[in-house]
Amino acid sequence: MKRTTLLLSSALALALPPLAPAFAQEGKDVTIVLGEDIDLMEPCMATRSNIGRIIMENVSETLTEYDVKSGKGVLPRLAESWEDMGGGTWRFHLRESVTFSDGSAFDAADVKASYERASSDKLTCETPRYFGDTKLTFDVVDEHTIDITADPAQPILPLLMSLVTIVPSETPVEFVREPVGTGPYKLASWSPGQSVVLERRDDYWGEQPAVEKATYVFRTDPAVAAAMVAQGEADLAPSISAVDATDSETDVSYLNSETTYLRLDSAIPPISDKRVREALNMSIDRDAFVGTLLPEGTVPAVAMVPPTTLGWNPDVKEYPYDPEKAKELLAAAKADGVPVDTTLYLIGRSNLFPGVTEVSEALQQMMQDVGFNVELQMVEVAQQEELYSKPFKEGRPPQMLFVSHDNSKGDPVFSMFFKYDSNGRQSGIADPKVDEMIAKASAATGEERTKDWQELFAYLHDEVVPDVLLFHMVSFARVGDRIEFTPTIATNSMLPLSEISFK
Amino acid sequence: MAVSSPLKAQHMSTLTSSGPAEPSRLRVVLGMLWRDKFATAAVIFLLIAILCAILGPALLTEAATRQNLRARNFAPFSLDQGWLMILGGDALGRPLLARIIVAARNTLMIAAGAVALSASIGAMLGLAAGYGPRWLGTVIMRLADVIMSFPSLLLAVIVLYMLSPSVGNVILVLAVTRIPVYLRTTRAEVLEIKERMFVQAAQVMGASSLRIVFRHILPMVIPTLVTIATLDFAFVMLAESALSFLGIGIQPPEITWGLMVAQGKQYLANAWWLAFWPGLAIILTTLSLNLLSNWLRIALDPAQRWRLEITPANKIGGGKANG
Amino acid sequence: MPRYASRIISSFASLVLLLVMVFFLSRLTGDPAALFLPDDATPQMIEQFRELHGLNDPMIVQFGRYVWDVLHLNFGDSLRQARPAIEVVTQAFVWTLWLALITMALVTAAAVVIGSLAAFRPGGIFDRIVTFTSLIGASAPDFWVAIVGITVFAIGLGWLPTSGTGTVWHWILPIAVLFIRPFGLILQVVRGSMVSAFGSAYVKTARAKGVRDRSIIFVHTLRNAMLPVITVVGDQAAALLNGAVVVETIFGFPGVGKLMIDSILNRDFNVILAAIMVTAIAIFVMNLLIDLAYALLDPRIRT
Repeated sequence: MKRTTLLLSSALALALPPLAPAFAQEGKDVTIVLGEDIDLMEPCMATRSNIGRIIMENVSETLTEYDVKSGKGVLPRLAESWEDMGGGTWRFHLRESVTFSDGSAFDAADVKASYERASSDKLTCETPRYFGDTKLTFDVVDEHTIDITADPAQPILPLLMSLVTIVPSETPVEFVREPVGTGPYKLASWSPGQSVVLERRDDYWGEQPAVEKATYVFRTDPAVAAAMVAQGEADLAPSISAVDATDSETDVSYLNSETTYLRLDSAIPPISDKRVREALNMSIDRDAFVGTLLPEGTVPAVAMVPPTTLGWNPDVKEYPYDPEKAKELLAAAKADGVPVDTTLYLIGRSNLFPGVTEVSEALQQMMQDVGFNVELQMVEVAQQEELYSKPFKEGRPPQMLFVSHDNSKGDPVFSMFFKYDSNGRQSGIADPKVDEMIAKASAATGEERTKDWQELFAYLHDEVVPDVLLFHMVSFARVGDRIEFTPTIATNSMLPLSEISFK
Repeated sequence: MAVSSPLKAQHMSTLTSSGPAEPSRLRVVLGMLWRDKFATAAVIFLLIAILCAILGPALLTEAATRQNLRARNFAPFSLDQGWLMILGGDALGRPLLARIIVAARNTLMIAAGAVALSASIGAMLGLAAGYGPRWLGTVIMRLADVIMSFPSLLLAVIVLYMLSPSVGNVILVLAVTRIPVYLRTTRAEVLEIKERMFVQAAQVMGASSLRIVFRHILPMVIPTLVTIATLDFAFVMLAESALSFLGIGIQPPEITWGLMVAQGKQYLANAWWLAFWPGLAIILTTLSLNLLSNWLRIALDPAQRWRLEITPANKIGGGKANG
Repeated sequence: MPRYASRIISSFASLVLLLVMVFFLSRLTGDPAALFLPDDATPQMIEQFRELHGLNDPMIVQFGRYVWDVLHLNFGDSLRQARPAIEVVTQAFVWTLWLALITMALVTAAAVVIGSLAAFRPGGIFDRIVTFTSLIGASAPDFWVAIVGITVFAIGLGWLPTSGTGTVWHWILPIAVLFIRPFGLILQVVRGSMVSAFGSAYVKTARAKGVRDRSIIFVHTLRNAMLPVITVVGDQAAALLNGAVVVETIFGFPGVGKLMIDSILNRDFNVILAAIMVTAIAIFVMNLLIDLAYALLDPRIRT
């Protein structure tokens, strides 16, 4: 035994130094290191970020796509053009001579089948959430033309179609692990927990992207992900934490479409008093976070959606940091018998973003400094989820949930109903006027839609004060020196390989 | 564990009974301690840690929780921000020294609580399994198997979810997972001891089972349990730290050393002191406990005790003869 | 061999009890629907998810269905991965098994050699250094050691890959981190056991008989000193088979520990149950092997 150990250890000692690990990064292959493992490779779940980052627009395509880069709005993808036929019907003209990676041809029947599959009650796909109570009917006009009728009429149907991934009509109605799509890549191999490999297709209808083969690996620890790119083991880490982003040559920051805020529960005193909610807003020195606990480039938020979203209102100004005014408001509320001394629970989630604990503790102290009585609780995701969504528990104490919302899809409609409508699952308010404004804006089109959303944002922020909006967050991507890639606000939810080029 | 050989009865009496005839027993023990310089240093360090745990929170909580973003990640070894900042500041500019001292209470309380709880429950069950009827022994041992195989992470999540992440509940989680260690050791010792002469004699003389177990058997088992408990103390501290790392342990604003290391981990590249000092506190404490346990093992083992009782000159000779 | 038969039966009983406890307790920790579906899922979607996975049925009905399926050797599908839970688990377990086997083999070999050498002269320089360094190593939090290891050996020196799997080199850092703690412990046991064995009657007898050769004494002593060592090795191996969560998480190693924490956080009940079953069986088999090793080493037990 002794000899083997000696041999082994000396062998290790001798062999190690010269053998600096060489990694096959030849030609047009890239390795991408992601923070979250993929559990399913199901096209109808592609709006979930861990799945979408790999397959969205790489393997599975959609009729339309939303342009986040240059703000051109909805662009054609599998549909070449579309027009509003009136009466809630939209006609989509589909691209011809497109094939799926299994060789079958793409036609109008596939569009119909894809939607029906995604909304089947035998599956629990994500797609139906975007349509809510809207009922869609699909009429195949000919092989490459399809009419889609929404009831009630849906002004942003073309945008919504950017969320419906197209699969062949033969796809079984059960979750698949080997997706078939029309995209420029097909799945080559998947070793669960280790890696996913996508390979470029030769028969893709569009322009051939530069990347021939993409290997995805998964590292929970952002420091490890950053180190992998630095060591040349990977080419791209789309999301590393700010403290690891130390190399300005490789690390780029980008607004990641996550908006953090404190969801207040307006039904429970003392938070039910508007002055108390205003005081909370004024107690927080948002600017003090930027460049300290949160990276430079973080934007104090005045709306639930990031500034690139349609209808974001540039005239709404963030609450000033004004502890004196906050104290006055509190005193006034107290004089009216509002129980302002009640303990407020600030409930954070341990893995919301790197450094969330420190940010929570700083928030707690700022609120305490103006006279609030705040207790901080850090909980695990399932626990917070239970408090976050309706039905809320009876007899709950006043709670402020430190949560985050992601909307990179270009329109506030994906956020506003469930965050602010009286019936919204995560709404902390019940205000009939807000309900009305949401319904109006959701049904509007064009200029009017923009105006309606802007009015809603101003009304919410200045009059209702439903929450404490905090920050539009930034992420950092580390881009290796072989490739060129610019992250966008959508990088969190999709990562088209066509955006990567070689130097 | 089978390492610590069962002790002979006569030596036991010298260690556990403190008769009035031995006024200088404490001095004897201190003398034995002084022979082992490592163990002496360990005891001094542990006394300091306990002192911090007792007095720290009362004196320094204010300083340890006051945030100061300007002193964020303040580098150590500088007195510019006062002596509390000698070890540097954390991500919120709170002095690390003060935080480590304040966190000593939770850290030691969790470890001590978990060890005491698991040792006492484990010992009771072990006595019952070893001395009780055969079926009871089997049932208890199978129960121990179940606890051993129950994933501690799942237990932690269950407790976190259904109760709350308080100090008491973390003690509970850690204690449950450590019960089988004491249970198995106690049972193994009991099985061996109950075959001995004096137990048989007590049985013949008609002593009740309870009396035999608590008067005759338990005192024989305790030294072994103490040795294991010292080692386990270290283990529990590390386990608590790992739970914090996975986000299912103690939650801020409570602090423990383990949590401080877990939180400081992400700054390792540019502010190493955030994770280093509390990590050092853990290492020094566990190291001290290990050294103390080594000393205890020798002090409690009649076959080796002479090493600590003789003069240094003789010791060298003795060592040679032995090797 | 009635002794083994009764042992298999009673171990099986405790496995069943374990699974029953886990089944009910894990279901008390919240709703997987809310975790699987997005934040803005409609109530209908949540209802549909619960219906589809039988989560709306009374707990006892769910349990009955699970037992029925298990009796047909069907351990259910993973909620997250839409494939059989047992397949998910065995895939991960192979990694953990290798990691545990290699680590324990290295630890045992190193601890026996170094521990015995230290025991030759208890309190000597070598003994002190070995004891002290192994204790320091064993006292450090493993995630801390892992990150420092990556920083030094992968980033600083560039000798090893940071993380992942693939080549032999990928295994070195995780194994090195896993090595430290059991090594410190087993080293202490070997040392203690050898120290008392050197002082024991039969070694003295051998010496009295004029056996001068150190190697003979060494082998003779080692054989007897190995018994307690095997017990500790078994305990440590069992801990590793349960999955090295922290190391697997940091190094992106697809083992059963990482699978376990992910499934617990996602409330993927079938995977939790299957993982516990597979590891429990593995630990049982290992304990049997340890008994055999005991019997081989100790003639008294063999008879």
